[in-house]
Amino acid sequence: MIGLVVAAVIGPSLVAHDPNFQYRVSEGGLDANGDPVPPGGRFLLGTDFLGRDELSRLVAGSQTSLSVALSATLVAAVVGTLVGGVAGFAGNPQVTMGLGRTRYQIRLPVETGLMRLTDIVLSLPAILLALAVAAVLRPSQWTAAAVIGAILWTATARIVYGRVLDVKRQDFILAAESVGVSPARILVRHVWPHVAPLVVIYATLGISAAVIFEATLSYLGAGTQVPTASWGSMVSDHRNFFTTQPRLVLLPGLAIVMTVLGFNLLGDALRDAFDPRQVSVGEAAKRVNATSAVRTTSEA
Amino acid sequence: MFAHRSSHRLPHRGVVVMAILALAACNPSASTSPAASGGAAEAPTGTLSIAFLSDVQTLDPAQGYDVVSWPAERLIFETLLGYGPEADIVPVLATSLPEVSDDGMTFTFALREGVNFVQSDGTIVKEMTADDVVASLNRLLNPNLQPNASPVAATFFALIEGADAVAAGDATEASGIEKIDERTVSITITEPNQTFLNILAMPFGSILPADSPTNAEEVTANPIGTGPFLLESRESGQQLTFVTNPHYWNPAGQLVAQIDFRVNVDPTSALQQAQTGDLDIMADNPPAGQISALLADDTLTDRVFRSSLVAVQFMAMDVSGDTPLNNLLVRQAIASAIDKENIAAVAHLGQPAPCILPPPMPGYDPNCDPYPYDPDHARDLLAEAGFADGFETTLYTTTNDPDPAVGAAIQQDLAAIGITVEVIPQAFDVLLGTIVIPHEAQMVYIGWFQDFPDPADFYDPILSCATNVEGNFNLAWYCNEDVDALAADARSEPDSTARIDMYRQLFNDVMADAPWVPIIYPEQLTVVSERVTNFHYHPAWIFDFGAYDIEE
Repeated sequence: MIGLVVAAVIGPSLVAHDPNFQYRVSEGGLDANGDPVPPGGRFLLGTDFLGRDELSRLVAGSQTSLSVALSATLVAAVVGTLVGGVAGFAGNPQVTMGLGRTRYQIRLPVETGLMRLTDIVLSLPAILLALAVAAVLRPSQWTAAAVIGAILWTATARIVYGRVLDVKRQDFILAAESVGVSPARILVRHVWPHVAPLVVIYATLGISAAVIFEATLSYLGAGTQVPTASWGSMVSDHRNFFTTQPRLVLLPGLAIVMTVLGFNLLGDALRDAFDPRQVSVGEAAKRVNATSAVRTTSEA
Repeated sequence: MFAHRSSHRLPHRGVVVMAILALAACNPSASTSPAASGGAAEAPTGTLSIAFLSDVQTLDPAQGYDVVSWPAERLIFETLLGYGPEADIVPVLATSLPEVSDDGMTFTFALREGVNFVQSDGTIVKEMTADDVVASLNRLLNPNLQPNASPVAATFFALIEGADAVAAGDATEASGIEKIDERTVSITITEPNQTFLNILAMPFGSILPADSPTNAEEVTANPIGTGPFLLESRESGQQLTFVTNPHYWNPAGQLVAQIDFRVNVDPTSALQQAQTGDLDIMADNPPAGQISALLADDTLTDRVFRSSLVAVQFMAMDVSGDTPLNNLLVRQAIASAIDKENIAAVAHLGQPAPCILPPPMPGYDPNCDPYPYDPDHARDLLAEAGFADGFETTLYTTTNDPDPAVGAAIQQDLAAIGITVEVIPQAFDVLLGTIVIPHEAQMVYIGWFQDFPDPADFYDPILSCATNVEGNFNLAWYCNEDVDALAADARSEPDSTARIDMYRQLFNDVMADAPWVPIIYPEQLTVVSERVTNFHYHPAWIFDFGAYDIEE
């Protein structure tokens, strides 16, 4: 994980080759048949089908993957939290509206509206939606990030919504309401601390989903565009080399697997850290000390 | 025709000429089928299966213009003339080559007797007569065909006398197409043209029954031809099954009982099937990543075939638009900056192309190489033109392997002399729509395949002044009237040696203007099963599916 982030941040300055430079046959980037050269020598992991350095592209791909996944996840976390939080906390509020002397009591379908919207988005086939967007806009890694964010927020919204509903019924909220604490303060001081760890955990897990999604879109040609390196398009570009030079498919594939696994493990670790029920009292106490955010969950 | 792998329906105006890996139409007749032997008494047996990346678009010979439709049409329909094993023109539905009048403008055909039109269920519809030939050619010129007029009505076939009146709707029959008697037809053209017999040998010249519908869908649903095979059934998007025509006039030319066209087959799976023997012939090139392994595999030596195509992959540059490309020095700089050796290696199948005409084409000039790879010289030329700091431009390619890779290689070669290129890959059909709009694409990388084996086909439909209007495929929007005058002389020159010299001069003149950078001469690589006993490429149309025999 750390290695990955390091690779993404400083890797490009360490590798020997420009990830987009195509070394010609005469420059040793391709063999006499026009095939990629195997690992060793100048090219530590060999070259790809256009004579570009594989290692440099893997490193450049980590940058693409992480920047797309992180920005998509950020969008998803913010939108999901807002939608889920508002729907859960506000419910379908009754408001009084008036025309002249007549007064009407109307329920504003805030909760219903937002959560049905979530259901609708969840029911859209994500890949098809992404391909449709790519067909209309010129696809790039940023349209991919936007599409991924536009789909991933639904999971966060549902989880936040459920958690808010749950918390809202707790005695301490009722107590706060009964002594006249303003809804805004209740939301910030008493509800948010219960929701925040969930958002962090699911955002972390969402990163791995976004990495896979980005790879999928790039594989299909609807994500990152040439010549920018992306693990998905690296797999796609070389799928016909699978029997002849499997490393060209396996290396970016392995990078995807390791990244996804890393973020999943991190997400699990965060969940454990935030959830005292899953650990011994002593462990939990240590973690409470270690993690300031945890103190707010101790009564849960 | 343009080189492409995926088939499509053509836009209906314009000089089109689409890409086909296989050409025109003759079916195996006694004179053209090398495998046909005397044992005609035995009924043919066995099923030959062929895989294509794309589907048959239409079976209407007036419409079909793609890599899958033409070979399918050629099984069902026949033309007056076809090609022999040396790409020589031979009679098919005519009994001999036509008598040509002294002025070279009237061609008289004697028609073969005992030729029947047979429908899919194997019943004879009628015997072919001169009326059917006259009606078929007039049908091709009919502007009211559905869903659109034939893509060649306004181009190749417009030279028939009276074709303009038919196109304008003033007549339903061209005055130049005449029935002399039941077995004789004469065709008159408006100016001498040495390629007219080639034009008639394209599948567009297929003979249909006189009362054939104008709608391509009806013809496709129930094709009635004179050819060696009948369309037995069609599973939409999956397979077309052809069976032997029991009433064919030349049974010795029928070598198998059934031919299956498996369509929409991905080349990767087609290759696996061909290697394991589940498929007899793979009609598309294998994926680039597999080619070296295939060529190196000793166990496949007898089953892998390779041939150069009569085609050129090139990059056209907009010579008359409002961009730096309208400067000859800039175009010459670009031509000198591209490393064709490297691109040929990236593409895997093909040789570097120094000039426009490919080696198998008459008129090919081995000494034509005006712009060898020299990036330093290219930089000098660019500076001389006033673009020492380079400029930005766009390059369109198809999305088919390996075109985007070639685009990336060109991008880097031009970056080395300071030109920033944005590569825009478009699906083939979309790209065709882009490139018929004048000056829409500054540069485009695409391939041109022969429609017929004559050098005129590499100038008239794609570089001539007549095509320098919207809706045509003059991709460089190029018009040099001196070259055009030479082309007109060459078209009508009866002496073939003098004619070939004229074309050699013509293409050197075109290269001097540098509207195109020829990049590679492509090649075909075909994997066949062990069952196929006589696989061979045909010099005119690459594949000749009706002429292959199999052994169970």
